[in-house]
Amino acid sequence: MSLALSTLLFEWRRYMAAVMALALSGLLVLAMTGVFIGIGKGFTAAIERSSADIYIMQPGAKALFGGPMGMPKRFIPLAYNHPEVVEIKTLDLSGGNFQNIKTVDPTASAADRARQGAPRQKQVLVNIIDTAPGSVTIPKDYSSELVEALRQPFTVAIDETALTPLGVKLGDKALFNGKTVTVVGVLRGYPNMMQPTIVMSRDSLRMLGEAFEGPRVGPLMIRIKDPARAPVVVAQLNAMGNGQWKAWTRQQLADANAASMFEEGILVIIIGGCVVLGVIIGVAITWQTLRGAIMANIKEFASLRALGVGMGSLRRIVVELSFWVGCVGVAAAILLTWLLSLFALSFAVIIALPFSLLLAVGIGLIAIAMVSGLLSLGILKNSQPADLLR
Amino acid sequence: MSIHTKVHGKHGDFAIEANGVVKRFKSGKSWVEVLKGVDFDARHGDLTMVMGPSGSGKSTLIAALSGLLKPEEGRVDILDVDDLWRLSTGRIDKFRLDNCGFIFQGFNLFPALTALQQVETVLKFQGLTSGQAKKRATIALEEVGLGHRLHLRPAALSGGEKQRVAIARALAKDPKILFADEPTSALDGENGQVVIKLLRRAATEHGAAVICVTHDPRLEAWADRVIHIEDGKILDDQRRIPDPNAILASH
Repeated sequence: MSLALSTLLFEWRRYMAAVMALALSGLLVLAMTGVFIGIGKGFTAAIERSSADIYIMQPGAKALFGGPMGMPKRFIPLAYNHPEVVEIKTLDLSGGNFQNIKTVDPTASAADRARQGAPRQKQVLVNIIDTAPGSVTIPKDYSSELVEALRQPFTVAIDETALTPLGVKLGDKALFNGKTVTVVGVLRGYPNMMQPTIVMSRDSLRMLGEAFEGPRVGPLMIRIKDPARAPVVVAQLNAMGNGQWKAWTRQQLADANAASMFEEGILVIIIGGCVVLGVIIGVAITWQTLRGAIMANIKEFASLRALGVGMGSLRRIVVELSFWVGCVGVAAAILLTWLLSLFALSFAVIIALPFSLLLAVGIGLIAIAMVSGLLSLGILKNSQPADLLR
Repeated sequence: MSIHTKVHGKHGDFAIEANGVVKRFKSGKSWVEVLKGVDFDARHGDLTMVMGPSGSGKSTLIAALSGLLKPEEGRVDILDVDDLWRLSTGRIDKFRLDNCGFIFQGFNLFPALTALQQVETVLKFQGLTSGQAKKRATIALEEVGLGHRLHLRPAALSGGEKQRVAIARALAKDPKILFADEPTSALDGENGQVVIKLLRRAATEHGAAVICVTHDPRLEAWADRVIHIEDGKILDDQRRIPDPNAILASH
């Protein structure tokens, strides 16, 4: 084990301030960016977790939301022309007013009824599944019992984090756009902090009179024979479409959905601010901590100089040390952010941590640590072996 | 007189020869001359003791001889290098890495490293592989009687043991010249005796030129040569027969 690594491990308390500064800088950026990506994920989770391998959308669409959504219905048979396409269903979304139902005790006094409060009303987003077993629109983590329950007319499922805001529990009846529905399922892992989401079958939606009808349908969700061939089939479908549509793999669409959040200028400014703040805090504290730590060992460094170890070698020790401090900082940042994301999830807030984000922040933190190390190299000038001679 | 310093000298050959070394320090607005034209030489196999009171310039002298502190005037020939101070700092560092060992009053050991790692670190900077460094470090530590303490960190070692690790660190390089600055003054009599005997052995068995700065007159018994320095000048220079079995009374 190298001198730098041994020193970091043995004198970890001395380096704790630097590690924590890096971890908090990382946490700031990861959590902020993660929350914004998570807001998007709240809307697209059910679609991204479906078993669709390929989506077909309008050629101008840059992501699921925020672009043209409606597609001519005739695209469905056109897409079936590809020999590897197994199933095509259209994506349907709806929204409406959701209201819980209070049972009123006719014998209660007016005061008691007043205390009970008014029924709760909220705008909800509606995700649609087809209840045929194994349908492409069903998210992969739905149980067959849940699908079975949703097959009954006028039934809905709600994420556990939305139960309280909507004021309902499993088995309750409620009003959706003025028509009675029954809560038959509670989901886990589909929180949406911006807008509660309910799930119902396409048939229930049709019976409620809200489904897409007529010549235009939502984006196409397509299952193919071999999911591994999705990129190839996407290219072939795009060639077949001849510019009328654009096909996406599930991953491409998920990435585009996450990235589309950052087309909002204000988010970029907020995250940019966090990055600047994180860099300043990280560099300042890491730099001072490293300086202090080197100064604490300055006599030992001086004795190495006396024995003929050159300044360049000592600088390399410091740079290596700052690299390891950076690595520990990255690990601490990811751990803290992960713990925070678990905590946030209980409030329906998703902190999404895609690998590319972790990688970027990780490289950034190591760079901060190394810059701090380079800044503290000057302190090595104090390692004058002649000072050891008294 | 023409003397030639040699790298692989026999006992008695010159290892260092310095002429007219002058070193001044700034003190307030005036300059204080700490070394006033010192002529000095040291030989392979000798334990040369440089003695003198505090502020006499003895530590400054070895700093100038070893390439740590550049003198204003004078010339230092050391081993195969004519005029050490002509070289660049990097070359002087390299020279020390290849040829010099250092022992200080403070032990200056890295708190994070075990005894073995302290010694290995320097050897690795010399370009040895891990395996070679470990082997040589183990031998050096066994030689100073710490074979059973290889994996202890400085916090678990006594003062005497720490100084022995520092000596092993200096000796593992097999230096031709060993500088020691007050090596025993932080130690009790018993440990001081162990340390001075190790220095004696470095001179006798390894043929190193050992230059030991001290103000402890009891160490004179082990020296081949005692140089008294006072006020930046050499007062006298005596050769004597060392007594390897001398006893350093406890403080």
